[in-house]
Amino acid sequence: MRTLGIYKFSRLAAQSVCAVLALSWTALGATAASPASEKLVVEAGRVITMAGEDIEDGVIVIQDGRIAAIGKRGELETPWDAPVVGGPEFVAFPGFVEALSSRGMDRPNESVDVAPFLNIRDSIDPVNFYFEDCLRNGIVAVNLQQGSQCVIAGQGMVVRPIGMTVEEMMMRGHFGLAISASPKRGKSRATQAQALREAFSELREYLEEIVQDKRDGGDKARREALYQGREYEGEKAKGREMGGTAWRVDGLELIPRAEIDEKREPLLELVEGRWNAFVYCSRPEEVHLALDVARDNGFLARTTLVLGSSCWKAADVIAEAGVPVVLSSSMVHIESDPYTGEEIETFVPGVFHEKGVRFALASSNSTSRSLWYQAALAQGLGLSRQVALEAVTTIPAEIIGFGNKVGSLEVGALGNVALFSGDPLSVNSYVEHVVLEGRVAYNRGDDKRFIHLYEGVEPAMAEPMTVVDDEEDGDDEKSSAKDKKSKTDKDSTSKGGEDEDE
Amino acid sequence: MFSFKSATAVSPNRVLNHSTSGMAHIGVLSLAAIAGSLSYHSIPAKLALGASGLDASTSAVAEPAAATPAAQKWLIRADEVHTAAGAPLRGGVISVVNGKIAAVVGAPGGDDSKSDSDDENTIEVFAVTPGMIDLGARLVTHPDAVEQSTEAAVWMRVSDSLDFFHTGWDRELRSGVTAVLASPPDNDVMGGLSCVVKTGGAPELEARLVKQDAALRGSMGTQPSMGNTPASGTPQNFYVRRPATRMGVEWIFRKSFYDAIAAQSDPERDFEGADVLQAVMRGEIPMSVQAWLTQDIRTAIFLKEEFKIPHMWVDAAAEAWKEPDLLVRSKIGVVFPPFSFNGRVGREGGFLTFGAAKEMHELGVNFAFSGHGTRDVAGRLAQQPALAMRGGLNFQAALRAATINPARMAGVDDRLGSIEVGKDADLVLWSGRPFLPTSRVVGVILNGELVLDPRKDS
Repeated sequence: MRTLGIYKFSRLAAQSVCAVLALSWTALGATAASPASEKLVVEAGRVITMAGEDIEDGVIVIQDGRIAAIGKRGELETPWDAPVVGGPEFVAFPGFVEALSSRGMDRPNESVDVAPFLNIRDSIDPVNFYFEDCLRNGIVAVNLQQGSQCVIAGQGMVVRPIGMTVEEMMMRGHFGLAISASPKRGKSRATQAQALREAFSELREYLEEIVQDKRDGGDKARREALYQGREYEGEKAKGREMGGTAWRVDGLELIPRAEIDEKREPLLELVEGRWNAFVYCSRPEEVHLALDVARDNGFLARTTLVLGSSCWKAADVIAEAGVPVVLSSSMVHIESDPYTGEEIETFVPGVFHEKGVRFALASSNSTSRSLWYQAALAQGLGLSRQVALEAVTTIPAEIIGFGNKVGSLEVGALGNVALFSGDPLSVNSYVEHVVLEGRVAYNRGDDKRFIHLYEGVEPAMAEPMTVVDDEEDGDDEKSSAKDKKSKTDKDSTSKGGEDEDE
Repeated sequence: MFSFKSATAVSPNRVLNHSTSGMAHIGVLSLAAIAGSLSYHSIPAKLALGASGLDASTSAVAEPAAATPAAQKWLIRADEVHTAAGAPLRGGVISVVNGKIAAVVGAPGGDDSKSDSDDENTIEVFAVTPGMIDLGARLVTHPDAVEQSTEAAVWMRVSDSLDFFHTGWDRELRSGVTAVLASPPDNDVMGGLSCVVKTGGAPELEARLVKQDAALRGSMGTQPSMGNTPASGTPQNFYVRRPATRMGVEWIFRKSFYDAIAAQSDPERDFEGADVLQAVMRGEIPMSVQAWLTQDIRTAIFLKEEFKIPHMWVDAAAEAWKEPDLLVRSKIGVVFPPFSFNGRVGREGGFLTFGAAKEMHELGVNFAFSGHGTRDVAGRLAQQPALAMRGGLNFQAALRAATINPARMAGVDDRLGSIEVGKDADLVLWSGRPFLPTSRVVGVILNGELVLDPRKDS
């Protein structure tokens, strides 16, 4: 269960089911700013804008979910009736942006090789701890895509890490198709490449076939559409010439879009340059395949590569192609020299920075460490602080199509602010509050699991399960005395470590 | 190519995000120590003394007694020297001669000696700490290091199965771990005797051994019984290894120690390894026991108390924080596994809080960190103190838990674990405040040899 303060969308009130959920949410300790408010003022001793200079003693005015004004306190007129969060002890930060993740889902992979008709929304688990961890670590937007065990994956989604339903979480649905240039389990590198190319040639054959059928006076596509119960409405009722810059099928305008097999439609939109592609490459040799397929099928301009650590070797090719990358694996690539046996360590973000490739860091790597830590580590290993910060804010924001909307604090951006107790990259700073689109979504004071993670005190809901201390061999009197003692200890010092039962 | 060797330059004056409170200025020095440090001609006197006003001691400069190779002498100047033996020095110079620390001098304030940094034996760096020591580095993983004939191979020495050609040693060394307690893999209940070895040097035991028989290794939990159950049926015949359960593991522990007690008074009942177990009970050999979970930590503590084992620690003790009273009562030590961001660590799913180390510190429990030989940079020992600091541990305690604490636990603190005159010159040079993720290890000195050169870092 989530105990993350208040966050409600006004439309919830209109839906009775959701209203119950919202109520329980409120019951779990919401105390901060009024959810009905359309305005919010955020104050901080320092504002790291990621859009120009930092502001000392700054103030951010959020109105209707967006930043209406930002500037120095005193120099900016703030609405008299808006609640205020923050204060001079905080550092305001736009929050981190997760460029790609396959977490927070039921299971991140579907066994079907080519599945662009599936949608990740059916897999997302809103109460997964991952989203809670996002808020706790100051992440304000996540691009969720299927995992790499695919040829062409289901459709992804950009979410805010809060909400009791997928709809509440959704920032942009139908966003992005994951594609894998790495062999899916059970496939060789060659069969993977074959399957990937085949997916597009099969689409082309299908389109040519239905166009030919239409020209021959047939109604194959129409009958299929009727059979599947598809609706002919608006744009869907019309045919449209095939767009895109790669191959085309002449005469596609003859086919109303509603008649195109919905299982194939997302792939067609990809080829028409209307979708974003996230292509997994675990090894450098796969980069060529990824870029070739993207180039041949017209979606190179909307491609982001998701790279394993050894892919720094293909940095020149990537730089030439001009695509951004997500570094989803270990930041330091380790390789043994085949002759001397010595290990060679390569700092991967450093290579891409030097080659001028736009890169985002991801926290979904083997160590599961969150973005603040990844950025700090990248700085420690050699990036400048600014470059490291951009790799977890503005660059991933651009990659997920939210440039100047998330990842930076500027007028017109979404009203997302993470208030830290100190510098965002310091090990001794914590996220104290998170404001998402003008509403307080997280208060550390209400975060029961934070106390569990740091001090070992179980969340309140676990308390009724407390049973007898096994050391005492069922000596009830003694163990209950001990329980009582440990309880008072906890009350007086609010320190953990007494829980005997696992 | 962008590798560590071509990363950005180290700025000795790098600005830190953290306050440097608690730093002491050392103005008074031991003249004998300086004389010792200056007994070789290539150290300019004013450099070693800085602005401390003790120029009189330049008279102590003498010709070196014997010609030593240039590589054997180093002068390390740092903005911060964290000695792990008393207050840190803000601005300090460490003189290294013949593999030992010859002098540690506080040199605060104005620095008129920058011109001397051209000296090829002088290194300038932001911070210096002692070489880190890992009591839980799992560098011996090959199954042929597991004795299969018995579950209590207490007389076996892991030193006989060390592979010094394994790349893991150098990886540890580069990341600032200069000595480890090498232990047998935990597939036996008691796998044998661990030894403390340096992570670098010639690839042979003689060159690397710091202490033989530094600890007896034991293991609780599922690992010593793992794989002992047949794929089908029950383990009823003698082809199947035992134990197959936690109770079987504990039974082997207790039987071994009871037999060793019996052997003390009855020569008839003596057996191979009884002397080792007796030495453990006398406190001559410490015992290190892998125990991730609460139940296994408790078992280890009860065994310690039952057999009055004076010196024992639980290794990979993720859930030690759940037993504060028992830890204090039994005076058992704790070696932490690497921290994780969701609290879950290890195959057995132990829960380790960020605040666990702070709690050990407050309880007065002796504790150390470990990187478990993790390959990924983010999981190594150098990163662990900072994560414990995130849980509230202070910097000095975190520093000690990576250096002098493990040295004391393994009984090698006479040579390792702190920056003090006469100790081995095992030093880690940092680009910023040690352990923070925004800093990195830029240099390592092992036995007075510069094995990772910070000057090639730019």
